[in-house]
Amino acid sequence: MHKQGYWGYIFTLPFIVNLLVFVLFPIVFSAYIAFTQWDLFNAPRWVGLDNWIQTLTDPPFWISIRNVMVFSLIFVPLQTVFAFIIAYLLNQSIRGKSLFRLFYFMPVVTPWIAGGILWVWLYNYRFGLINWTLDSIGITPIHWLDNKHWWVVIASVAIANVWKGIGSSMILLLAGMQNVPKEMLEAAAIDGASRWVRLTRIIFPLVSPMVYMVMILSTIASFQAFDVFLGMFGSITAGIPEQHMVTNLIIYRDAFLFFKMGPASAMAWLLFVIILSITLFQRYFEKRWVHYD
Amino acid sequence: MTEKPTLLKQVIVYTLLTIGAFMMAFPFVWMLSTSLKTLGAVSQLPPQLIPNPVQWANYETVWNRVDFGRYTFNSVLIVTIDLIGTLVSCAFVAFGLAMFNFKLRKVLYLAMLATLMLPFQVTLIPSYFIWKSFGMLNSYYPLLIPSFLGGAFGIFLMHQFFKSLPRELYEAAVIDGCNPLGIFWKIYMPLCRPALSALGVFTFIGAWNNTVGPLIYLQDRELYTLPLALLYLKSDTQINTALLMAAAVIVTLPVVAVYLVAQKQFVQGIASTGLKG
Repeated sequence: MHKQGYWGYIFTLPFIVNLLVFVLFPIVFSAYIAFTQWDLFNAPRWVGLDNWIQTLTDPPFWISIRNVMVFSLIFVPLQTVFAFIIAYLLNQSIRGKSLFRLFYFMPVVTPWIAGGILWVWLYNYRFGLINWTLDSIGITPIHWLDNKHWWVVIASVAIANVWKGIGSSMILLLAGMQNVPKEMLEAAAIDGASRWVRLTRIIFPLVSPMVYMVMILSTIASFQAFDVFLGMFGSITAGIPEQHMVTNLIIYRDAFLFFKMGPASAMAWLLFVIILSITLFQRYFEKRWVHYD
Repeated sequence: MTEKPTLLKQVIVYTLLTIGAFMMAFPFVWMLSTSLKTLGAVSQLPPQLIPNPVQWANYETVWNRVDFGRYTFNSVLIVTIDLIGTLVSCAFVAFGLAMFNFKLRKVLYLAMLATLMLPFQVTLIPSYFIWKSFGMLNSYYPLLIPSFLGGAFGIFLMHQFFKSLPRELYEAAVIDGCNPLGIFWKIYMPLCRPALSALGVFTFIGAWNNTVGPLIYLQDRELYTLPLALLYLKSDTQINTALLMAAAVIVTLPVVAVYLVAQKQFVQGIASTGLKG
């Protein structure tokens, strides 16, 4: 046998370097910077808790947290419910499954900047296809992305995000459904269980761990939203109004446009803590409805 | 399913699925349609589905105006190097984790899993500082070098695959006098082609669509990638919707083409790892 230790370190050396340089050092350094005033060029100056207090007392951070929260409250349930329905329909014995799957998945691979351009055009108040459709069935056109209510704007972005992300949730749920034992469903059918009963009493409980995972993943993704808002609003020169900002965009702006590394780092950590708490919170309720064997 | 669904139920299932697929695909049709319209036709009501006249010149205009040739070259270059780096380094590290017993193995494995959960915004500023200290800002190094150091997701995927292969394979190769490097390259790499192709498709799409990295590290216009060029084009007030849409098609087309060719690996990769692309 070869020398196990020796070869083990040779093979994992690239990743060890990666961990030390691009994971461990950044974590420690970022924690330090969060307590300093630093513009990236001059030496960092220790300011104690100033950045944290400033971030927590200034409105922009809380506005951005409010926005990602509303964003995820609209996006996560919509995406999960529709992804579940599509997965359930695709799991029936039908033809053309892979063709359908192809359509549902195409937006997932589209770059958000291109998707953003497209959706801004669809949402256009005067010439957009969505308002034209509404108008032709007798509904008053809506100001989507240029609405004076912030929550309509955030909801519009969330809907576009459902279009973009539903495919990946659907694939995961479909994989879960294909693992439900056929014999179990057959036995239930023989015993006279209707489709609805089989769906709610057998399929859903067995797929619930996957549903849970899909919800956790999309919640985390929506709190970390960056590309979607950049794609929808992003004109780098003009800037995005504070009312519609999300946390990661503020971090990016403060750090790389305003060179305020201290507050940006503090905000990055606060966002991480919020995401972690929400994940743990969801875990707490997991026991109530998720079934494991 | 057990019983064959009745005709009515089949009709319902097909109808619902078709409506859904239509809603997913129609924005793409609209993007294509708008990209071929004249300036007048873009803002015409009711909107034309099939542009009349078809303005192919939009593509030519926007291609020349933004130097898309250059940006396509940049994107292809970055994605190719990233792809090679990621595939080789992830397989290499995963092989080490899966095949050898050494002191730090457990620690490294756990560290890899923890890295999967680490949010990018926390490490963003320090990473920028590192590249600045190396004098490598405004170059492709910050985008490319990390891909040669093994990413947590790729290592995880390859590790799962190596673990599924029989241990005897390795032992037989040792008896035949192969050293571990040879075993990795000549025996295991060819064997893990399915896992590599799944990882390859993920990496391609992630690298092609990457916005944050190029946005932060690249300043010179000649260095831009396609999504970044598109982002800047969007801020250009002189550009009209049809041209912008043609540019969006140019940026989207390659990645959709790769997806269509490799969709099986991609879908299987997502389902087997449980991770999002």
